[in-house]
Amino acid sequence: MTAATSQKIQLVDPTGADPGPNPLTLADRSADIRGKRLALLDNSKANSDVILKAIGEILNDEFEFADIIYLKKHSASLPPKPEVMAELHRHADIVVTGVGD
Amino acid sequence: MSHSHRARLHEVDEALGAIEECYRQGWTDGLPVVPPTLQRVEAMLDYVSLDPEQVLGEVPVRRRALTAEHAAANAVMAGCLPEYFPVVLAAMDAMFQHDPNCIHESSAATNSPGILIMVNGPIRKEIELNCTGNLFSPGHRPNATIGRAIRLILINVFEQRPNVLDRGCMGSLTKFGVCIGEDEENSPWEPFHVSRGFDADQSTVTVATVQDPEMLGNRYGVTAESLMDATADAMSSHGLGIYLNDSPWFWVVGHWHAQMLGAQGWDRPRIQEYVFEKAWRTRAQMKRLGAVRGPLLDGDEDIRVPAAPSPESILILKGGGDSGIYSELMMNYHGLPALTIPIRESWEDFRAPEADDDGSHYPLPRRGD
Repeated sequence: MTAATSQKIQLVDPTGADPGPNPLTLADRSADIRGKRLALLDNSKANSDVILKAIGEILNDEFEFADIIYLKKHSASLPPKPEVMAELHRHADIVVTGVGD
Repeated sequence: MSHSHRARLHEVDEALGAIEECYRQGWTDGLPVVPPTLQRVEAMLDYVSLDPEQVLGEVPVRRRALTAEHAAANAVMAGCLPEYFPVVLAAMDAMFQHDPNCIHESSAATNSPGILIMVNGPIRKEIELNCTGNLFSPGHRPNATIGRAIRLILINVFEQRPNVLDRGCMGSLTKFGVCIGEDEENSPWEPFHVSRGFDADQSTVTVATVQDPEMLGNRYGVTAESLMDATADAMSSHGLGIYLNDSPWFWVVGHWHAQMLGAQGWDRPRIQEYVFEKAWRTRAQMKRLGAVRGPLLDGDEDIRVPAAPSPESILILKGGGDSGIYSELMMNYHGLPALTIPIRESWEDFRAPEADDDGSHYPLPRRGD
């Protein structure tokens, strides 16, 4: 092997930049959801309204929520719009979401 | 906490081993790549005078940033020459300008849209981008590698790997990359980018998420109306009309179809209006085909659902060769509506779009935060 061919080749890693520590933290989990405010967040997939409302009724029978609100995302594969997030922050202790079709 | 955006380096012994190393690292789209050597990546960056650490944009929901160095490494791997790099950068910039999260959305979507890159202006000739025969085929380096570079960036930088974060159900050939040029020189109409307000001597890129193209084969019609009726028929049947009335369309008008329309005096606005009026199904038809949920209701037979949201959303450009009598139709899936931006001649003053702070996005911590 010649000197030229034995030289190491350096490859630039093409994967994404490490953004550093996650600035987000999970909210405290509710130890008891009885009497809390429930939000049902529809991700806009077909029939998610049907199943989420059914889940809400079943949960409500057991946990007797203080309030149940129903909100919808504009796209299944995008985050909720800011006004929807604000509604969740203001009016819900627990959110149920995530429905496929 | 301070941290560097510089990419890590991997050492290998020889070129063929480097190709295998790229496979081992999971950096490819399944085909072999050009090893992203330090020298080649530097040449790509030198061409546009960009600092390797320059952040080009971020995808908030993925918490990943694209730097110039990462873009260059992926462009090298795709097989791009440095002179193609401005097109790659402009295509990524269009996505960041629209909504960076559309990069995640286009891969999360189960209906598997690819990303169309359509180029106008002088750069097509400078980089020898194919605009005519075999427009969507392999065989032309700029067409094949620019589109591929975008896919490799999505895979490597934003982790849009098949069956992980790329949730495509049937997948799509368009995900290998689609980059085409408009055949402005043989078009009866003004160039597409001029119709969108740009100067003819400006180079632009139009970027859109698209469903699989469908070939239009009106071979024996002799009137413009016959051709436009055929196009409207395809639009209103496409993909069982799942997204009728929701998405723009690209009609890449083939050579002889364009000649016929032009010779019979049809300009873009009239064509758009005619096809829009003809391309629809009834709500009842859509329900019978399972494209709309719910039982048939009184009135469904009389409700028209247009294939496009407006005449202007039927985007018309000239492309392809003169060997046959065909056109191509693509639905612009709604992740990234067709956005046209100029291709910069200089990237030295480039600044990434600021991430939103309105709560819908989650900006990455910046260095020094």
